[in-house]
Amino acid sequence: MYIIPGAPRSLSMPEYWFGEVRGKSCTPAGSRDPEYLARRLEGIRISMDSFSPLTWEMARDCGFVATREEYLRILHDLCMHRAEMSLSLVAARPEQELIQMVHMRDQLDEAINLLVEKAIEWHAARSPEFSRKYRVLRPASALETLLAEGGPHVREIATGIRHLSEARAGITREIERIAGTVLPNCSALVGGLVASRILAAAGSLEGLARLPAGTIQVLGARTALFAHIRSGSLPPKHGIIYQYRGVHRAAKGRRGKVSRTLGAKLAIAAKIDLFRGERDEGFLDAARSALERAGGGLVR
Amino acid sequence: MIWIDGVLVSRGEAGVYGERVIRGFRVWNPRRSKLAAYYYLGGEIEIDAPMRILYLGAAHGTTVSHVADYADVVYAVENAYAPMRDLLAVAARRKNIVPLFSDAAEPALYAPLVEEVDLLFQDVAHADQAGIAIRNMPFLKDGGVALVVVKARSIDVAERPADVVRGVSGKLEDSGLFIRRVIWLEPYHRDHAVLECTRD
Repeated sequence: MYIIPGAPRSLSMPEYWFGEVRGKSCTPAGSRDPEYLARRLEGIRISMDSFSPLTWEMARDCGFVATREEYLRILHDLCMHRAEMSLSLVAARPEQELIQMVHMRDQLDEAINLLVEKAIEWHAARSPEFSRKYRVLRPASALETLLAEGGPHVREIATGIRHLSEARAGITREIERIAGTVLPNCSALVGGLVASRILAAAGSLEGLARLPAGTIQVLGARTALFAHIRSGSLPPKHGIIYQYRGVHRAAKGRRGKVSRTLGAKLAIAAKIDLFRGERDEGFLDAARSALERAGGGLVR
Repeated sequence: MIWIDGVLVSRGEAGVYGERVIRGFRVWNPRRSKLAAYYYLGGEIEIDAPMRILYLGAAHGTTVSHVADYADVVYAVENAYAPMRDLLAVAARRKNIVPLFSDAAEPALYAPLVEEVDLLFQDVAHADQAGIAIRNMPFLKDGGVALVVVKARSIDVAERPADVVRGVSGKLEDSGLFIRRVIWLEPYHRDHAVLECTRD
Protein backbone atom coordinates (compact mmCIF):
# COMPACT_ATOMS: atom_id res chain seq x y z
CA MET A 1 0.00 0.00 0.00
CA TYR A 2 1.25 3.42 -0.85
CA ILE A 3 0.17 6.44 1.15
CA ILE A 4 0.25 9.77 -0.61
CA PRO A 5 2.07 12.23 1.64
CA GLY A 6 -0.34 14.74 3.05
CA ALA A 7 -3.36 12.72 2.06
CA PRO A 8 -6.36 13.13 4.36
CA ARG A 9 -6.33 10.75 7.28
CA SER A 10 -9.42 8.87 6.14
CA LEU A 11 -7.65 7.74 2.97
CA SER A 12 -4.82 5.99 4.77
CA MET A 13 -5.63 2.66 6.34
CA PRO A 14 -3.25 2.07 9.21
CA GLU A 15 -1.48 -1.21 8.76
CA TYR A 16 0.30 -2.72 11.68
CA TRP A 17 2.34 -5.87 12.08
CA PHE A 18 -0.66 -7.90 13.25
CA GLY A 19 -3.20 -6.67 10.72
CA GLU A 20 -4.93 -3.81 9.01
CA VAL A 21 -7.20 -1.50 11.00
CA ARG A 22 -9.95 0.35 9.19
CA GLY A 23 -12.12 2.39 11.50
CA LYS A 24 -13.80 -0.08 13.79
CA SER A 25 -13.14 -3.10 11.61
CA CYS A 26 -9.84 -4.92 11.37
CA THR A 27 -8.37 -7.63 9.21
CA PRO A 28 -5.84 -9.77 11.11
CA ALA A 29 -2.71 -11.08 9.43
CA GLY A 30 -3.11 -14.52 7.91
CA SER A 31 -0.61 -16.31 10.13
CA ARG A 32 1.50 -15.92 13.26
CA ASP A 33 4.56 -17.47 11.69
CA PRO A 34 7.52 -15.03 12.08
CA GLU A 35 8.59 -15.56 8.49
CA TYR A 36 5.12 -14.84 7.17
CA LEU A 37 4.75 -11.75 9.35
CA ALA A 38 8.21 -10.49 8.36
CA ARG A 39 7.36 -10.80 4.69
CA ARG A 40 4.05 -9.05 5.27
CA LEU A 41 5.90 -6.17 6.98
CA GLU A 42 8.05 -5.64 3.88
CA GLY A 43 4.99 -4.38 2.07
CA ILE A 44 3.85 -1.94 4.74
CA ARG A 45 4.58 1.74 4.22
CA ILE A 46 3.69 4.15 6.97
CA SER A 47 3.65 7.90 6.74
CA MET A 48 4.54 9.52 10.04
CA ASP A 49 2.43 12.58 9.20
CA SER A 50 -0.85 10.84 9.79
CA PHE A 51 0.40 8.20 12.17
CA SER A 52 -1.26 7.11 15.35
CA PRO A 53 0.60 4.45 17.30
CA LEU A 54 -0.90 1.05 17.83
CA THR A 55 -2.03 -0.39 21.12
CA TRP A 56 -1.96 -4.10 21.86
CA GLU A 57 -5.69 -4.00 22.51
CA MET A 58 -6.19 -3.40 18.77
CA ALA A 59 -4.56 -6.76 18.11
CA ARG A 60 -6.85 -8.35 20.70
CA ASP A 61 -9.97 -6.74 19.29
CA CYS A 62 -8.80 -7.82 15.88
CA GLY A 63 -8.84 -11.41 17.06
CA PHE A 64 -5.12 -11.82 16.44
CA VAL A 65 -4.23 -12.61 20.07
CA ALA A 66 -6.13 -13.26 23.29
CA THR A 67 -3.71 -11.93 25.93
CA ARG A 68 -0.91 -9.41 26.26
CA GLU A 69 1.57 -12.21 27.03
CA GLU A 70 0.66 -13.81 23.74
CA TYR A 71 0.97 -10.46 21.94
CA LEU A 72 4.46 -9.84 23.29
CA ARG A 73 5.63 -13.40 22.63
CA ILE A 74 4.64 -13.33 18.95
CA LEU A 75 6.05 -9.81 18.51
CA HIS A 76 9.31 -10.79 20.21
CA ASP A 77 9.71 -13.86 18.00
CA LEU A 78 8.97 -11.78 14.90
CA CYS A 79 11.51 -9.07 15.76
CA MET A 80 14.19 -11.58 16.75
CA HIS A 81 13.64 -13.27 13.41
CA ARG A 82 13.80 -10.01 11.45
CA ALA A 83 16.95 -8.80 13.21
CA GLU A 84 18.69 -12.14 12.74
CA MET A 85 17.83 -12.15 9.04
CA SER A 86 19.14 -8.60 8.57
CA LEU A 87 22.32 -9.40 10.48
CA SER A 88 23.00 -12.50 8.42
CA LEU A 89 22.50 -10.48 5.23
CA VAL A 90 25.08 -7.94 6.44
CA ALA A 91 27.51 -10.63 7.55
CA ALA A 92 27.25 -12.43 4.23
CA ARG A 93 28.69 -9.47 2.33
CA PRO A 94 32.37 -10.05 1.55
CA GLU A 95 33.13 -6.36 2.04
CA GLN A 96 32.34 -6.66 5.76
CA GLU A 97 35.41 -8.82 6.33
CA LEU A 98 37.45 -6.37 4.29
CA ILE A 99 36.32 -3.53 6.56
CA GLN A 100 37.34 -5.47 9.66
CA MET A 101 40.75 -6.17 8.10
CA VAL A 102 41.28 -2.47 7.41
CA HIS A 103 40.47 -1.66 11.04
CA MET A 104 42.86 -4.37 12.22
CA ARG A 105 45.65 -3.17 9.98
CA ASP A 106 45.32 0.42 11.20
CA GLN A 107 45.28 -0.81 14.79
CA LEU A 108 48.41 -2.88 14.16
CA ASP A 109 50.15 0.20 12.75
CA GLU A 110 49.43 2.10 15.90
CA ALA A 111 50.45 -0.76 18.19
CA ILE A 112 53.69 -1.42 16.33
CA ASN A 113 54.74 2.24 16.33
CA LEU A 114 54.00 2.58 20.01
CA LEU A 115 55.81 -0.63 20.95
CA VAL A 116 58.87 0.25 18.86
CA GLU A 117 59.01 3.68 20.45
CA LYS A 118 58.79 2.32 23.99
CA ALA A 119 61.30 -0.46 23.32
CA ILE A 120 63.75 2.09 21.93
CA GLU A 121 63.35 4.33 24.95
CA TRP A 122 63.92 1.41 27.25
CA HIS A 123 67.01 0.30 25.37
CA ALA A 124 68.30 3.87 25.23
CA ALA A 125 68.00 4.10 29.00
CA ARG A 126 70.44 1.18 29.27
CA SER A 127 72.84 2.27 26.57
CA PRO A 128 72.80 6.08 26.27
CA GLU A 129 74.93 6.12 23.11
CA PHE A 130 71.95 4.55 21.30
CA SER A 131 69.62 7.45 21.85
CA ARG A 132 71.23 9.80 19.34
CA LYS A 133 71.64 7.09 16.77
CA TYR A 134 68.06 5.82 16.62
CA ARG A 135 66.59 9.13 15.62
CA VAL A 136 67.97 8.70 12.15
CA LEU A 137 67.05 5.02 11.89
CA ARG A 138 63.95 3.77 10.18
CA PRO A 139 61.70 1.79 12.56
CA ALA A 140 62.58 -1.44 10.76
CA SER A 141 66.32 -1.00 11.23
CA ALA A 142 65.79 0.26 14.77
CA LEU A 143 64.09 -3.06 15.38
CA GLU A 144 67.09 -4.95 13.95
CA THR A 145 69.39 -3.04 16.29
CA LEU A 146 67.21 -3.90 19.25
CA LEU A 147 67.24 -7.56 18.28
CA ALA A 148 71.03 -7.55 18.04
CA GLU A 149 72.00 -5.34 20.96
CA GLY A 150 69.08 -5.27 23.38
CA GLY A 151 68.84 -6.98 26.73
CA PRO A 152 66.99 -10.29 26.92
CA HIS A 153 63.59 -8.72 27.57
CA VAL A 154 63.98 -6.04 24.95
CA ARG A 155 64.99 -8.75 22.47
CA GLU A 156 61.92 -10.78 23.34
CA ILE A 157 59.64 -7.78 22.81
CA ALA A 158 61.42 -6.90 19.56
CA THR A 159 60.74 -10.44 18.36
CA GLY A 160 57.06 -9.96 19.19
CA ILE A 161 57.00 -6.68 17.29
CA ARG A 162 58.58 -8.39 14.31
CA HIS A 163 55.82 -11.01 14.34
CA LEU A 164 53.24 -8.24 14.40
CA SER A 165 54.94 -6.54 11.46
CA GLU A 166 54.85 -9.77 9.52
CA ALA A 167 51.16 -10.16 10.32
CA ARG A 168 50.62 -6.57 9.16
CA ALA A 169 52.38 -7.25 5.87
CA GLY A 170 50.26 -10.39 5.39
CA ILE A 171 47.03 -8.56 6.13
CA THR A 172 48.01 -5.77 3.76
CA ARG A 173 48.53 -8.26 0.91
CA GLU A 174 45.20 -9.89 1.74
CA ILE A 175 43.44 -6.51 1.78
CA GLU A 176 44.86 -5.69 -1.66
CA ARG A 177 43.72 -9.07 -2.95
CA ILE A 178 40.16 -8.90 -1.59
CA ALA A 179 39.84 -5.24 -2.59
CA GLY A 180 40.72 -6.27 -6.13
CA THR A 181 37.66 -8.52 -6.25
CA VAL A 182 35.20 -6.51 -4.11
CA LEU A 183 36.21 -3.05 -5.34
CA PRO A 184 37.87 -3.73 -8.69
CA ASN A 185 37.37 -0.25 -10.16
CA CYS A 186 37.93 1.79 -7.00
CA SER A 187 41.10 -0.23 -6.35
CA ALA A 188 42.32 0.32 -9.87
CA LEU A 189 41.98 4.08 -9.35
CA VAL A 190 43.51 4.58 -5.91
CA GLY A 191 44.97 1.21 -4.90
CA GLY A 192 43.40 -1.52 -2.80
CA LEU A 193 44.33 -0.12 0.60
CA VAL A 194 43.01 3.41 0.08
CA ALA A 195 39.90 2.03 -1.64
CA SER A 196 39.29 -0.23 1.36
CA ARG A 197 39.69 2.66 3.78
CA ILE A 198 37.10 4.66 1.83
CA LEU A 199 34.82 1.63 1.94
CA ALA A 200 35.33 1.32 5.70
CA ALA A 201 34.44 4.98 6.17
CA ALA A 202 31.25 4.52 4.14
CA GLY A 203 30.33 1.37 6.09
CA SER A 204 29.26 -0.80 3.18
CA LEU A 205 29.60 -1.05 -0.57
CA GLU A 206 25.98 -0.11 -1.04
CA GLY A 207 26.44 2.83 1.28
CA LEU A 208 29.49 3.94 -0.70
CA ALA A 209 27.69 3.59 -4.03
CA ARG A 210 24.92 5.83 -2.75
CA LEU A 211 27.25 8.61 -1.66
CA PRO A 212 27.59 11.71 -3.82
CA ALA A 213 31.02 12.51 -5.24
CA GLY A 214 31.51 15.49 -2.95
CA THR A 215 31.01 13.32 0.12
CA ILE A 216 33.45 10.67 -1.08
CA GLN A 217 35.96 13.45 -1.72
CA VAL A 218 35.92 14.53 1.94
CA LEU A 219 35.24 11.18 3.66
CA GLY A 220 37.56 11.09 6.64
CA ALA A 221 37.75 14.88 6.97
CA ARG A 222 34.70 15.14 9.19
CA THR A 223 36.17 17.59 11.70
CA ALA A 224 37.32 19.98 9.01
CA LEU A 225 34.02 19.68 7.16
CA PHE A 226 31.90 20.50 10.18
CA ALA A 227 34.24 23.33 11.18
CA HIS A 228 33.61 24.71 7.70
CA ILE A 229 29.83 24.33 7.83
CA ARG A 230 29.69 25.89 11.27
CA SER A 231 32.14 28.70 11.24
CA GLY A 232 32.92 29.21 7.60
CA SER A 233 36.56 28.18 7.76
CA LEU A 234 37.98 26.88 4.49
CA PRO A 235 36.29 23.67 3.36
CA PRO A 236 38.43 20.52 3.28
CA LYS A 237 39.69 19.63 -0.19
CA HIS A 238 40.25 15.96 0.57
CA GLY A 239 39.80 13.28 3.19
CA ILE A 240 41.05 9.72 2.89
CA ILE A 241 41.76 10.22 -0.79
CA TYR A 242 44.71 12.42 0.23
CA GLN A 243 46.55 9.16 0.91
CA TYR A 244 46.43 8.43 -2.79
CA ARG A 245 49.68 9.76 -4.18
CA GLY A 246 47.96 11.30 -7.19
CA VAL A 247 46.47 13.71 -4.68
CA HIS A 248 49.26 14.35 -2.21
CA ARG A 249 51.91 14.54 -4.92
CA ALA A 250 49.90 16.92 -7.04
CA ALA A 251 51.04 20.53 -7.14
CA LYS A 252 49.55 22.40 -4.22
CA GLY A 253 47.37 24.64 -6.33
CA ARG A 254 46.00 21.64 -8.18
CA ARG A 255 45.12 19.35 -5.30
CA GLY A 256 41.58 20.64 -4.96
CA LYS A 257 40.90 20.06 -8.64
CA VAL A 258 42.43 16.59 -8.55
CA SER A 259 40.44 15.72 -5.40
CA ARG A 260 37.20 16.87 -6.95
CA THR A 261 37.82 14.85 -10.09
CA LEU A 262 38.88 11.81 -8.08
CA GLY A 263 35.77 12.04 -5.88
CA ALA A 264 33.60 12.10 -9.00
CA LYS A 265 35.39 9.17 -10.59
CA LEU A 266 35.27 7.13 -7.36
CA ALA A 267 31.53 7.74 -7.11
CA ILE A 268 31.15 6.18 -10.57
CA ALA A 269 33.64 3.41 -9.81
CA ALA A 270 31.76 2.44 -6.63
CA LYS A 271 28.54 2.10 -8.58
CA ILE A 272 30.20 -0.12 -11.18
CA ASP A 273 31.75 -2.17 -8.36
CA LEU A 274 28.38 -2.65 -6.69
CA PHE A 275 26.22 -3.36 -9.72
CA ARG A 276 28.63 -5.06 -12.11
CA GLY A 277 31.49 -6.12 -9.89
CA GLU A 278 34.09 -6.22 -12.64
CA ARG A 279 36.76 -3.93 -14.06
CA ASP A 280 35.63 -1.58 -16.72
CA GLU A 281 38.75 -0.71 -18.73
CA GLY A 282 36.97 1.90 -20.82
CA PHE A 283 35.86 3.76 -17.72
CA LEU A 284 39.28 3.42 -16.07
CA ASP A 285 41.12 4.85 -19.08
CA ALA A 286 38.76 7.80 -19.23
CA ALA A 287 39.03 8.36 -15.49
CA ARG A 288 42.83 8.25 -15.53
CA SER A 289 43.08 10.77 -18.31
CA ALA A 290 40.61 13.04 -16.53
CA LEU A 291 42.83 12.83 -13.46
CA GLU A 292 45.90 13.64 -15.53
CA ARG A 293 44.22 16.67 -16.98
CA ALA A 294 43.13 17.79 -13.51
CA GLY A 295 46.66 17.37 -12.19
CA GLY A 296 48.06 19.32 -15.12
CA GLY A 297 50.42 16.52 -16.02
CA LEU A 298 51.41 12.98 -15.27
CA VAL A 299 49.94 10.94 -12.46
CA ARG A 300 51.80 7.77 -11.80
CA MET B 1 14.05 2.20 41.62
CA ILE B 2 15.71 -0.35 43.87
CA TRP B 3 18.67 0.86 45.94
CA ILE B 4 20.80 -1.29 48.23
CA ASP B 5 22.99 0.78 50.57
CA GLY B 6 23.12 3.60 48.04
CA VAL B 7 23.83 1.28 45.10
CA LEU B 8 21.37 1.23 42.22
CA VAL B 9 20.37 -2.32 41.26
CA SER B 10 17.78 -4.16 39.22
CA ARG B 11 16.11 -7.53 39.67
CA GLY B 12 16.78 -10.02 36.89
CA GLU B 13 18.88 -12.82 35.54
CA ALA B 14 22.53 -11.84 36.02
CA GLY B 15 25.50 -12.36 33.75
CA VAL B 16 24.57 -10.07 30.85
CA TYR B 17 27.88 -8.20 30.67
CA GLY B 18 29.78 -9.29 33.77
CA GLU B 19 27.90 -6.92 36.07
CA ARG B 20 28.33 -7.32 39.84
CA VAL B 21 25.59 -8.88 41.90
CA ILE B 22 24.58 -7.84 45.42
CA ARG B 23 22.20 -10.10 47.31
CA GLY B 24 20.77 -11.45 44.09
CA PHE B 25 20.34 -8.01 42.52
CA ARG B 26 22.22 -6.78 39.46
CA VAL B 27 24.34 -3.69 40.07
CA TRP B 28 23.56 -0.89 37.59
CA ASN B 29 26.75 1.12 37.22
CA PRO B 30 26.40 4.90 36.66
CA ARG B 31 29.80 5.04 34.96
CA ARG B 32 28.70 2.61 32.29
CA SER B 33 25.10 3.67 31.89
CA LYS B 34 23.84 7.19 31.34
CA LEU B 35 20.40 6.26 32.59
CA ALA B 36 21.89 4.91 35.84
CA ALA B 37 23.89 8.14 36.20
CA TYR B 38 20.64 10.06 35.75
CA TYR B 39 19.11 8.24 38.73
CA TYR B 40 22.23 8.76 40.83
CA LEU B 41 22.00 12.48 40.14
CA GLY B 42 18.43 12.81 41.30
CA GLY B 43 16.43 11.93 38.17
CA GLU B 44 12.83 11.49 39.17
CA ILE B 45 11.30 9.78 36.15
CA GLU B 46 11.29 6.23 37.44
CA ILE B 47 10.58 3.02 35.59
CA ASP B 48 8.01 0.66 37.02
CA ALA B 49 6.39 -2.61 36.12
CA PRO B 50 3.54 -1.59 33.80
CA MET B 51 5.68 0.80 31.76
CA ARG B 52 6.24 0.47 28.03
CA ILE B 53 9.42 2.04 26.81
CA LEU B 54 10.87 3.04 23.47
CA TYR B 55 14.65 2.99 23.72
CA LEU B 56 16.56 4.65 20.85
CA GLY B 57 20.25 3.84 20.60
CA ALA B 58 20.12 0.53 22.42
CA ALA B 59 23.78 -0.26 21.64
CA HIS B 60 25.01 -3.52 23.19
CA GLY B 61 21.94 -3.90 25.36
CA THR B 62 23.62 -3.43 28.75
CA THR B 63 21.43 -0.53 29.90
CA VAL B 64 18.50 -2.04 28.03
CA SER B 65 18.81 -5.20 30.13
CA HIS B 66 18.41 -3.18 33.34
CA VAL B 67 15.49 -1.22 31.91
CA ALA B 68 13.87 -4.53 30.94
CA ASP B 69 14.29 -5.73 34.54
CA TYR B 70 12.03 -2.90 35.65
CA ALA B 71 9.62 -2.39 32.75
CA ASP B 72 6.85 -4.29 31.04
CA VAL B 73 8.40 -4.08 27.58
CA VAL B 74 11.32 -2.28 25.93
CA TYR B 75 11.36 -1.52 22.22
CA ALA B 76 15.10 -1.37 21.57
CA VAL B 77 16.19 0.41 18.38
CA GLU B 78 19.79 0.06 17.23
CA ASN B 79 21.25 0.75 13.82
CA ALA B 80 24.80 -0.64 13.97
CA TYR B 81 25.75 -4.18 13.12
CA ALA B 82 28.19 -5.13 15.89
CA PRO B 83 26.16 -3.75 18.83
CA MET B 84 23.03 -5.35 17.39
CA ARG B 85 24.67 -8.77 17.56
CA ASP B 86 25.19 -8.32 21.31
CA LEU B 87 21.74 -6.83 21.77
CA LEU B 88 20.17 -9.89 20.13
CA ALA B 89 21.98 -12.17 22.58
CA VAL B 90 20.51 -10.11 25.43
CA ALA B 91 17.04 -10.08 23.87
CA ALA B 92 17.14 -13.86 23.40
CA ARG B 93 17.23 -14.22 27.21
CA ARG B 94 14.80 -11.40 28.00
CA LYS B 95 11.48 -11.84 26.30
CA ASN B 96 10.32 -8.32 27.08
CA ILE B 97 13.01 -6.76 24.86
CA VAL B 98 11.79 -6.24 21.31
CA PRO B 99 14.92 -5.73 19.16
CA LEU B 100 14.56 -3.40 16.18
CA PHE B 101 17.51 -3.25 13.76
CA SER B 102 16.63 0.14 12.39
CA ASP B 103 17.64 3.77 12.09
CA ALA B 104 16.04 5.89 14.82
CA ALA B 105 16.02 8.79 12.35
CA GLU B 106 13.46 6.88 10.25
CA PRO B 107 10.71 5.85 12.66
CA ALA B 108 8.39 4.96 9.78
CA LEU B 109 10.42 1.77 9.36
CA TYR B 110 9.51 0.41 12.78
CA ALA B 111 6.22 2.26 13.31
CA PRO B 112 4.06 -0.79 12.47
CA LEU B 113 5.75 -2.68 15.35
CA VAL B 114 5.93 -0.22 18.23
CA GLU B 115 2.97 0.41 20.52
CA GLU B 116 2.18 3.61 22.32
CA VAL B 117 4.79 4.05 25.07
CA ASP B 118 4.94 5.69 28.50
CA LEU B 119 8.59 6.64 28.26
CA LEU B 120 10.93 7.49 25.43
CA PHE B 121 14.63 7.16 26.21
CA GLN B 122 17.09 8.36 23.62
CA ASP B 123 20.86 7.93 23.68
CA VAL B 124 22.07 8.24 20.11
CA ALA B 125 25.34 9.56 18.72
CA HIS B 126 23.98 11.69 15.92
CA ALA B 127 24.38 15.30 14.83
CA ASP B 128 20.61 15.84 14.78
CA GLN B 129 19.56 14.47 18.16
CA ALA B 130 16.70 16.93 18.53
CA GLY B 131 15.27 15.96 15.15
CA ILE B 132 15.33 12.27 16.03
CA ALA B 133 13.52 12.88 19.31
CA ILE B 134 10.89 15.00 17.57
CA ARG B 135 10.30 12.43 14.86
CA ASN B 136 9.74 9.73 17.49
CA MET B 137 7.29 11.75 19.58
CA PRO B 138 4.21 10.22 17.91
CA PHE B 139 4.92 7.02 19.86
CA LEU B 140 4.72 8.79 23.22
CA LYS B 141 1.31 8.68 24.86
CA ASP B 142 -0.27 11.83 26.30
CA GLY B 143 1.33 12.59 29.63
CA GLY B 144 4.38 10.47 28.76
CA VAL B 145 7.95 11.63 29.31
CA ALA B 146 10.94 11.66 26.99
CA LEU B 147 14.42 11.42 28.46
CA VAL B 148 16.80 12.70 25.81
CA VAL B 149 20.51 12.24 26.42
CA VAL B 150 22.30 15.09 24.70
CA LYS B 151 25.74 13.97 23.65
CA ALA B 152 27.20 17.41 23.16
CA ARG B 153 30.37 16.15 21.49
CA SER B 154 28.42 14.20 18.90
CA ILE B 155 26.58 17.30 17.81
CA ASP B 156 29.43 19.72 17.72
CA VAL B 157 32.97 19.14 18.93
CA ALA B 158 33.94 22.78 18.93
CA GLU B 159 31.00 24.49 20.58
CA ARG B 160 30.61 24.72 24.35
CA PRO B 161 28.52 21.78 25.66
CA ALA B 162 26.15 24.15 27.49
CA ASP B 163 25.47 25.98 24.21
CA VAL B 164 24.84 22.70 22.41
CA VAL B 165 22.31 21.68 25.06
CA ARG B 166 20.63 25.07 24.79
CA GLY B 167 20.41 24.58 21.03
CA VAL B 168 18.81 21.14 21.38
CA SER B 169 16.40 22.41 24.06
CA GLY B 170 15.38 25.27 21.79
CA LYS B 171 14.61 22.92 18.90
CA LEU B 172 12.59 20.61 21.13
CA GLU B 173 10.64 23.55 22.54
CA ASP B 174 9.96 24.89 19.05
CA SER B 175 8.31 21.57 18.23
CA GLY B 176 5.95 21.95 21.17
CA LEU B 177 7.81 20.12 23.91
CA PHE B 178 8.31 21.37 27.40
CA ILE B 179 11.73 20.88 29.00
CA ARG B 180 11.09 20.25 32.65
CA ARG B 181 14.62 19.74 33.77
CA VAL B 182 18.19 19.46 32.54
CA ILE B 183 20.51 17.12 34.44
CA TRP B 184 24.20 17.12 33.61
CA LEU B 185 25.80 13.72 34.03
CA GLU B 186 29.05 14.91 35.60
CA PRO B 187 31.02 13.30 37.15
CA TYR B 188 29.94 10.02 35.54
CA HIS B 189 29.88 11.11 31.89
CA ARG B 190 31.56 14.18 30.44
CA ASP B 191 29.64 16.59 28.23
CA HIS B 192 26.41 14.64 28.50
CA ALA B 193 23.11 15.97 29.77
CA VAL B 194 19.68 14.42 30.13
CA LEU B 195 16.67 16.51 29.14
CA GLU B 196 13.36 15.63 30.78
CA CYS B 197 10.72 16.51 28.19
CA THR B 198 6.96 16.39 28.25
CA ARG B 199 4.34 17.45 25.73
CA ASP B 200 2.40 20.32 27.10
